[in-house]
Amino acid sequence: MEALATIVRIAAEAGDAVVDPAAAKNISAAASAGHAYGLAAIGPGIGIGIIFGKAIESMARQPEAAGMVRTTMFIGVAFTEALALIGFVAFILLKFA
Amino acid sequence: MLISTIFLAAEDLGPNPIAPENKELLWGAGSFLVFLFVMRVFLVPKVKKGMEARYNGIRGGHEAAQAARSSAQRDVAAYEAALVEVRNEVTARIDKARQTLDAERQAKVIEANARILAKRTEADTAMQTARAASRGDVAVAVGSVTTRATQLVLGKAPDAALVKRAVDNIMGGSRS
Amino acid sequence: MNFPTLIAFEFPPINMLLRWQDVVPTINKVVIISIFSTLIGVGIFLAAARKNPMVAPKGARNLAEIIIDFVEKQIVMQTMGPTGLGWTPFLLTIFIFIYLNNMPGVIPLIQIPATARMGIPAFMALMVWVVYNVTGIKHQGPIGYFKSVLFPPGVPKALYILVTPIELISTFVMRPFSLAVRLFANMLAGHLLLVIFALLSEALFQARDRILIPVGVLPFAVLLFLTGFEIIVAFLQAYIFTTLTAVYINMASHAEH
Repeated sequence: MEALATIVRIAAEAGDAVVDPAAAKNISAAASAGHAYGLAAIGPGIGIGIIFGKAIESMARQPEAAGMVRTTMFIGVAFTEALALIGFVAFILLKFA
Repeated sequence: MLISTIFLAAEDLGPNPIAPENKELLWGAGSFLVFLFVMRVFLVPKVKKGMEARYNGIRGGHEAAQAARSSAQRDVAAYEAALVEVRNEVTARIDKARQTLDAERQAKVIEANARILAKRTEADTAMQTARAASRGDVAVAVGSVTTRATQLVLGKAPDAALVKRAVDNIMGGSRS
Repeated sequence: MNFPTLIAFEFPPINMLLRWQDVVPTINKVVIISIFSTLIGVGIFLAAARKNPMVAPKGARNLAEIIIDFVEKQIVMQTMGPTGLGWTPFLLTIFIFIYLNNMPGVIPLIQIPATARMGIPAFMALMVWVVYNVTGIKHQGPIGYFKSVLFPPGVPKALYILVTPIELISTFVMRPFSLAVRLFANMLAGHLLLVIFALLSEALFQARDRILIPVGVLPFAVLLFLTGFEIIVAFLQAYIFTTLTAVYINMASHAEH
C-alpha cells in the first residue's frame, strides 16, 4: 500500500515536471521510441523463427544439402533482420537525436 | 597522457549518434583500401601459391604412393602366378608319377596273370599227359586182362586189334 | 524527485559511449582500431607468406589458410560458384577487416566495435555498391545492366509499372543502406547491451544498501553471456556482410534469365 502511494507520488511529481514543451517532446519521443522498436521487432522475430525452423527441417531431411541451406538461411535472416534493425535505428533516432 | 586520451570520451556531444563522422569514415576507408591493395596484390596470391604448391606436393606424394602400391600389387600378382605355375607343375608331376606307377602295376599284374595262366596251362598239360598215360596203362592192362579172360573162356587168344578196339570202345564210351 | 534512490544507476548520454577524444587531430579510438585491424590483418598474412609453404602449416600460416579456405568454401563457392574464385581476395579482405573491427567490442579495456560508428559501415556499403554496379556494367554493358535490373525478364508487361520502381529502390538504395545499417545497428545494439549490463552491475556492486550487492551477480552473469554472444555476432556480421557482397556481385555479373 505504501509502495503504491510512493509510485503515485513519483508519477504525480513526474507529471508536474512536464511543463515546458521541450521536455514534453522528449518524453513522448522516448515513449514512442520504445513502441517503435517493440513493434518493429515482432515481424522479424516471427520471420526469423520461420526461417530457422524451415532451414533445420530441410537440413534434417537432406543433410548433404546442409551447406547450401545454411548459406541461404543466413542471407534470408539478414534480409529479415534488416527490418528489426531499421526499427532499432528509429529507436535511436527518436530517443537520442 | 597521450595513451590515456584514447580511452576518454569526447567532450563535445557531437552530432546524431548514427550519423557517420567524416574522420572515422575517411580513416576507415584509407585503412581498408591499403589492406585491400596489399592483400590483393601481394599477400593472398603468395599464400594461395604456397597452398597450391603444398596441395600439389601432397597430390604428388599421393600419386607416388599409389604407384608404389600398384607396383607392389603387380609384384604380388607375379609371385602368385609363379606360385600357381609351380603348384600346377607339382600336380602334373604327381599325376605323371601316379600314372607311371599305375602303368607299372598294371603291367606287373598282367605279367603275373600271364605267368599264372602259363603255370596253370602247364599243370593242365601235365595232368592231361599223366591222365593219357594212365589211361594207356589201364587200356593195356584191360586189354591183357581181356585177352587172358577170353583165352581162358575160348581157349584161344583173341585178335589183339579187336580187343584193343573193344577196350577203347568201352573206355571211350565210359568216358563220354 | 526526492525519493531515495537505492542504486546510483544513471545512463550517460549515448554519444559519451560512442565518441572519443582525438589523440592527434582526426585520430581517435575508432580510427586507431581500424588502422590496427589493417595492421593485424597484414601482419598475419605477411607472417603466413614468409613461412615455408611446403611444411605442415602452423601458427600464422595455418590461421591464414583456414580463413582463405573458409572464405572460398563457405562464401564464394556457396554463392558464386567456381567462376567467382577471382573475387576471393576482395571478399577475404572485407571479411577480415570487418571481423577485426567488430572484435574490439568484446576485448577488455578496448570494448568498442569500430563498426558501432557509422563511418566504416557506410564506407564499406558504398564501396560494395560501387563494386557491384561497376561489375554489372562491365559484364552486361550499361544498357543491358540497367535493363536487367529495372525490367527483369519473365514479368508481365503491365506489372513493370509496379516492379520497376521497387527494383530501382531496392537495388540502388536499399541494398547499400541495409548493408550499412545491418552491420552498424547490430554492433551498436550489442555494444549498448554490454554497456547497460556493465553499468547495472557496477551500480549494484556499489549500492549503498549492502543487501543489493549480491544481486549484482545477476546482471554480471548476463554481461558474461552477452559477451560470448557478441563474439558470435562479430563473426556472423562479418560473414553476412561478405556473403551479401558476394551475392550482389554475382547477381550483377550474371544477367537474370
